[in-house]
Amino acid sequence: MATDSIKSSTLMLRSAGRPPWYAADGKNDPVYMVGVAGGSASGKTSVARRIVQALDVPWVVIVSMDSFYRKLSPEESKQAFLNNHDFDHPSSYDYTEALRCVRDLKQGKATSIPQYDFAKHAPSTESQRVYGASVVIFEGIFALYDPTLLSMMDMKVFVDTDSDICLARRIKRDVTERARDPIGILQQYDRFVKPAFDGFVRPTMNNADVIIPRGLDNEVAIDLLIKHIQRQLDARSQALMRPALVRQFRSEDDLSELFFRVPETNQVRAMQTILYDATTSREDFIFYSDRLSRLVLEFGLGKLDLAPTTVTTPMGVPFDGYSLAPNVTGVTILRAGGVMEKALHSVVRPAHYGKILIVGDPVTHEPRLHYVNLPPSIKDGQVLLMDSTIVSGANALMAVRICLDHGVKQENILFMSLLATPHGVHAIQSAFPKVKVVVALLDSHISEDNLLIKAGYGIFGDRYFGTEC
Amino acid sequence: MSSLAAQVAEHPRFHLLPQSNQLKALMTIIRDKNTKRSDFVFYSDRVIRLLVEEGLNYLPVVEKEVTTPMGVPFKGVSFEGRICGVSIMRAGESMEQGLRDVCTSVRIGKVLIQRDERTALPTLYYSKLPKDIADRWVLLLDPMLATGGSAIKCAEVLKEAGVKEDHILFINLICSPEGALHMLEKFPGLQIISAEVDEGMDERKFILPGLGDFGDRYFGTED
Repeated sequence: MATDSIKSSTLMLRSAGRPPWYAADGKNDPVYMVGVAGGSASGKTSVARRIVQALDVPWVVIVSMDSFYRKLSPEESKQAFLNNHDFDHPSSYDYTEALRCVRDLKQGKATSIPQYDFAKHAPSTESQRVYGASVVIFEGIFALYDPTLLSMMDMKVFVDTDSDICLARRIKRDVTERARDPIGILQQYDRFVKPAFDGFVRPTMNNADVIIPRGLDNEVAIDLLIKHIQRQLDARSQALMRPALVRQFRSEDDLSELFFRVPETNQVRAMQTILYDATTSREDFIFYSDRLSRLVLEFGLGKLDLAPTTVTTPMGVPFDGYSLAPNVTGVTILRAGGVMEKALHSVVRPAHYGKILIVGDPVTHEPRLHYVNLPPSIKDGQVLLMDSTIVSGANALMAVRICLDHGVKQENILFMSLLATPHGVHAIQSAFPKVKVVVALLDSHISEDNLLIKAGYGIFGDRYFGTEC
Repeated sequence: MSSLAAQVAEHPRFHLLPQSNQLKALMTIIRDKNTKRSDFVFYSDRVIRLLVEEGLNYLPVVEKEVTTPMGVPFKGVSFEGRICGVSIMRAGESMEQGLRDVCTSVRIGKVLIQRDERTALPTLYYSKLPKDIADRWVLLLDPMLATGGSAIKCAEVLKEAGVKEDHILFINLICSPEGALHMLEKFPGLQIISAEVDEGMDERKFILPGLGDFGDRYFGTED
């Protein structure tokens, strides 16, 4: 298969839910970035992996410079197939592209990282979408070469392994993984790899904070390195988010004009009563929360700005109206927000759907991101973010942050919920003042011990899905 | 808006849906003569659902206290009064599903009223109403209110069956100002819920700008 040669050089590792990576003001914490350079086959990747394994960070990505080999001219390409092209020269890389990806990752944004087809000596048409790493490791022979890339790194490591060992590893790797023949590899080594190392790679050792002799075998050095990184990460870790968000609200605070509440009609109050009633059957609970979801959605859609248009009626008379928003993405915050997708499906025909799974930590109840899948078109249109309940606003903050990280404009986000506290709405509006918030019910009774709405409907997801204890 | 239309919109027994851009966009689609039928049905259904939800707000509620799952008392309200739907055939039947989606297993009566070609008057051809309709609130369903001829005839049929005038909520998508005013004057208890008030009618008594024949477009029987 032709695609065997396209090896994803980017490795995204997730070991657990991701804790908040931003502060209560909604701003992203800087991502911790490690650069790992060293000669070809010196063991950079192994060192990078060892660092990742040892760090107690749930979402980490290792980006290889192999992803950023530039496109060759037809003549260069011909030479490459004759093993006559110098891939070990600094000019073999597309630094603009590398910079774009690394800058995105450093700012916590979703990015797409190119992939390289080693059999075709050309960038593949495919790319890999990467999002959510709190630590980024950038490794490659020229990882410590470009000054702009260097300026973004928090820790710069050079792996200095004996050149005999490097050559032996390189022959083995290129034969088995990259379908080259040994003679060609040796030719290439003499002509390009060795001179490049001496001329360009070794000098970047001066840019390193730490030099690790003997690569992966040097457990003492690697251990020291990991301890240092861990200390720096610990110093950055956030205080608990939920209590902080709840505390920042004062009763005299007004919710901004971008907060909209469904009018408190008789029907809405009657539905609220049914949902709040502990004795309501599950069947009724589902029916009335679906009905209320649809009302919130219709009401919320009424807050979108639309483009005017004029049509002609069958009576041959013009009618001045509006066009529906052309590109709407509904993003549900699972589990409980998922129930609102049904209502969206019944009102917005060509909607795209994104999903985010946020789960409370069993001990602290702090939000943890477990899964995110958003359509690429999300950045260009209106986004309807949906969750059943906003209590502290911590989950909502995370969801909005994810949308922004995926290129969505704040003013295009409409956050919709069945039930909210003023504390939670205030938390969203303080962090993201241009986001519109639409709710059906507002209730201010928060229980201090577990931060649930006291007078509310209890745990929405449990009652809807029937998973109460 | 014409002065007659403004007069309708301000009438205390006339309730217009909140006029959002979104509603206007829905009405734009169903008014557009180039809209294909599946879209016409989908977006009409959406407006109908909004109308039904709005209509139900004019039904009475009573105070009710419940206990939440957190063990806290909550003072709320509960629905009071029994309801039924009555659709004016054929176009009014398009609104039945919208009512059923909100009030599952609601009783629905049907009335067929057509113009008698000899007298030019709306004439009752068929009616089948729930037996206890006199004790119920009636949501009267007909998507277009033009002259009001059929709707007035239907309201008379309901009153003969014992329905109280102030227990009738007439729900439609588009009304002419003349038709709405006529109806409100003729039945001083009845309320009207509508999505939009149009400018008027042509000489054939079609609403302008209107949307053509609703029944034909909804059921796909246009030429």
